[in-house]
Amino acid sequence: MKGSRCLHQLKSLRLLSHAGRLLPPAAGDNGALFRPRSSSQLGGLQCAQREVLRHFHSSPACTKGQPARFVQEEDKTRDKSLVTHDDLFEQVAKEAKTKATFNKVIDVYTKGDIRRRGHVEFIYAALKKMPEFGVEKDLTVYNKLLDVFPKEVFVPRNFIQRMFNHYPRQQECGVQVLEQMENYGIMPNIETKVLLVQIFGEKTHPMRKYQRIMYWFPKFKHVNPFPIPEQLPEDPVDLARFSLTRMANDWDAKVTVYQLPCTDVTESGAEVTLPHIVGIQSPGQMEALAKHNPDRPVFVEGPFPLWMRKTCVYYYVLRADPTPPEEKIEEPYDPERCLSYPLQLDLDLDRDLGDDESFDVEDLDEGPVFAMCMTSQGDQATLNQWISGLQESNPILGQIPTLFRLGAGPRELQGVGDADSASRSWFPSHVQREEAHPGEEAEAVVEEAEAVVEEAEAVVEEEPRRSQGVKQ
Amino acid sequence: MMNMNRLIVFSRTFRIGQRLLGCHARHAGKEELRLQQRRSIKTHSRHLAYAKDLFLGQVNKAEVFPYPEIGNDELEEIKQLVAPVEKFFSDDVDSAKIDREATIPPETLQGLKDLGLFGIMIPEEYGGLGLSNTIYARLNEIIALDGSIAVTLAAHQAIGLKGILIAGNEAQKQKYLPKLASGEHIAAFCLTEPGSGSDAASIQTRATLSEDGKHYLINGSKIWISNGGMADIMTVFARTEVEVDGVKKDKISAFIVERAFGGITSGKPEDKLGIRGSNTCELSFDNVPVPVENVIGEIGGGFKIAMNILNSGRFSMGSSCAGMIKKLIELTSEYATTRKQFNKSLSEFGMIQEKFAMMALNAFVMESMAYLTSGMMDRPGIPDCSLEAAMVKVFSSEGGWICVSEALQVLGGLGYTKNYPFERFVRDCRILPIFEGTNEILRMYIALTGMQYAGKILTGKIKEMKKGNIGLAIGMVSKKLRASLGASVDLGLTGKDGVVHPSLEDSAKKLEQNVSLFGSTVESLLYRYGKTIVDEQLVLKRVADVLIHIYAMTAVLSRASRSISIGLRNHDHEVLLANTFCNDAFFKNNYWMVQLQKHSPENNDANIKKIAKQVLENRAYICSHPLERTY
Repeated sequence: MKGSRCLHQLKSLRLLSHAGRLLPPAAGDNGALFRPRSSSQLGGLQCAQREVLRHFHSSPACTKGQPARFVQEEDKTRDKSLVTHDDLFEQVAKEAKTKATFNKVIDVYTKGDIRRRGHVEFIYAALKKMPEFGVEKDLTVYNKLLDVFPKEVFVPRNFIQRMFNHYPRQQECGVQVLEQMENYGIMPNIETKVLLVQIFGEKTHPMRKYQRIMYWFPKFKHVNPFPIPEQLPEDPVDLARFSLTRMANDWDAKVTVYQLPCTDVTESGAEVTLPHIVGIQSPGQMEALAKHNPDRPVFVEGPFPLWMRKTCVYYYVLRADPTPPEEKIEEPYDPERCLSYPLQLDLDLDRDLGDDESFDVEDLDEGPVFAMCMTSQGDQATLNQWISGLQESNPILGQIPTLFRLGAGPRELQGVGDADSASRSWFPSHVQREEAHPGEEAEAVVEEAEAVVEEAEAVVEEEPRRSQGVKQ
Repeated sequence: MMNMNRLIVFSRTFRIGQRLLGCHARHAGKEELRLQQRRSIKTHSRHLAYAKDLFLGQVNKAEVFPYPEIGNDELEEIKQLVAPVEKFFSDDVDSAKIDREATIPPETLQGLKDLGLFGIMIPEEYGGLGLSNTIYARLNEIIALDGSIAVTLAAHQAIGLKGILIAGNEAQKQKYLPKLASGEHIAAFCLTEPGSGSDAASIQTRATLSEDGKHYLINGSKIWISNGGMADIMTVFARTEVEVDGVKKDKISAFIVERAFGGITSGKPEDKLGIRGSNTCELSFDNVPVPVENVIGEIGGGFKIAMNILNSGRFSMGSSCAGMIKKLIELTSEYATTRKQFNKSLSEFGMIQEKFAMMALNAFVMESMAYLTSGMMDRPGIPDCSLEAAMVKVFSSEGGWICVSEALQVLGGLGYTKNYPFERFVRDCRILPIFEGTNEILRMYIALTGMQYAGKILTGKIKEMKKGNIGLAIGMVSKKLRASLGASVDLGLTGKDGVVHPSLEDSAKKLEQNVSLFGSTVESLLYRYGKTIVDEQLVLKRVADVLIHIYAMTAVLSRASRSISIGLRNHDHEVLLANTFCNDAFFKNNYWMVQLQKHSPENNDANIKKIAKQVLENRAYICSHPLERTY
């Protein structure tokens, strides 16, 4: 209801302004039609407008003849019309690539040529340039771009036109605008709809496209149960905190900042940058670690990549091999456990097959993960610092041998040209490009876990290297 | 016509009455003989398995019919006891003040002591009143008029000193009971700990034997101890090291701890919603030396003692709630009959009438259940009525809560103010489903105890069936078919050897039908879940609910039959109540049992679990706000 009301208002307003804009250069007899009308007579006005517009592109023969004359006129008045639309953007881009300049280009175009000649080419060019100007996610810009299309002209007026593809090139272009919006996840609004109705009319291809977008976008909006915010935290510590919480997905897990990043100057004058170390551990993990058999080593593994939108961060885990079956002790049932009711029934009856709703899933014991951390510097010294921090709340770590199985650290930044990565290059542990995959090495290490432990390869470091008070 | 009917009913009544009383002479002179006879009936060996037998679809009618009676002299005694207590409670107890000031004034406590209410069940040789469970229940009807006093007294004698009473040795009894009976010393029961409610394994309080072997040193802290601030004698449960078969193990032991031993500090009294006058606080024990002779029972045997104490203390809640509701009916009916709206008094409105009927029904059922259970407990031997007591507790605590809130509703806004006692009753009543074992835990207890009992007996049969014994299966199917075709179930409550009065025949039939269906439901549940039924809490809840309602039906039928037979005043009203309740319970039971026969996707259990899981995973209500939009 509201939509249609809005539509109507906008339509009439636009018509007015349109009419106003049309007036000065239009032929006198056309303009005369408007003058006596007041804005209150919208219905009449619309009819009049329609007539005028019909006149606007009346007979093909006529339009064919006209352009030549117009071009000549344009040539006389402005040099710019010779310039291709791409160049128009290039010219402006020399100053600054902002939304304001982008809008200016559109304004220059719309005001410059009342016939909007070549508007399809212009719109294609603009679409291409949008990411460059950083307006690819701006709905108002898309609407402004759609506004470039002349109104009412392409609206089919009879069933034959409606049946066949009326002004296919223009419709195609309109669809392309919507397509780009879709690709960037921009949801059109009611103004877009109004524009599309005015430009192409109901039940045309762009309108269908619009409807499809409006059908699916809201449905997909919350489809991700773990949404990532549009703006990731800038501070590496905050980012680590955010990504660790996200991975742990445990309300009780506690994030501890073991070390804040800071720069120190040593006595010798050398600058030392201390990396940040942020870890996460839940009470359940602490409990599991406390129950861990101290004879079996725990491993610090990493770095593993975690992608969040266009950012990749790396994390390290403290884990152990799955407990071998012979070490698993099931707690015996204690009949004196519950004061109120029997916790187990002393019956020799099992669940009937018909009520067994469990799935037959092959269980693969992966071994427990006791804690996770993120740091900007994945060397052993730094990770050792994390382990000593953990030891404060998990005293048992002092007795368990800790092995470091570290893969090659994240590779150097690639694709520095990316605007985003340039601004974040001070944070070495995340990379902006998909190519970086240091996780592969880490996985290899995991696969060869046993072998690695025995052969004590370069990546493996025995716990004694850790200089700590508490020893096995 | 009416007269004729009445005449017929009367003559029937007479006959049944005769039958029920059997050869009991009704002459005053033969009172002695009658008592003796009853005693002889009492002493025969008993299984006490009424509730458990229901799980097998059997009605052990000898257990519950006829409704237990007390002797005339005992009745006389009760009347003598009740009158002064009633007077004391109406004249000398200012419940509003107790609630406001969150303390029971010393003179009120003294009054209670003088009445002997601190030692109702302590035998006379130790200075108590030595009364039976039945009379204890009767007194509780009055005591319950003030929640704070009721809880104080219950914490003292229903749990606090119960340990000494049921498991203490002679010396301990001699030493402690007299002072406890007189109220000179107040008792408390210390079991709950910050990390442990029903979980005995997480009791942290520890008792260690001193080097000289004469004392145990108790360390730890206990929370939510009723009377904790004023108790002089405490039953404390603590972990002790016990050697079993050469292996050292931690086991729970019970100790009698005097405050005078030193090292006990009580925390600030808790600020509670209701029962504000009762003292609840934290107690911490710091190296409290307890002489070895103060161990109750044997060392390491605390678990059984705790369980027995808890199980035996519950039955009185039925009469307490009934007493409270009876009082509420008096208070609200006056308002409902005098208050006028649209030139009609409130009592003429159907929805108000419904509330009163509901209250009367609930009071009647609770009373019937409570005194049936107390009567069973009073029989000689060591009756195990824990299942029945738990059912009484669950039914009455929930019924009580509904009644109290409906009573308040009758008064509307007035009831919500502090000018009337209803808001206090509502607050006080809220504790009932929580303490002495939460209703959830008791439901588990009720259902699992019965399942265990039935499972033991049915295992063989079910195994045969699972193996594909065709004979058994055909028997089962034909039984089910017969039942579904409406063949009446006869468990012997009515008819030739019937124990139920003919005017209750319909209700008795409904009970029989329910019991028989319950039996087959239990069987199919055991067939389906086996021992994994422990994890099916939603199933167990329904099982418990059905059982509670079957027991309630039994109680009202038994009571009303007796009332008609001996011609108690207003027994026709009892018949009305009994029939109404049975009708209602019959439908409820059928509904629950139909649900029990379905699988979880059909009876909503799967959905309920899923909803809860999603909510709990997010620790929030996760729906989007209805005003939210996506575009």
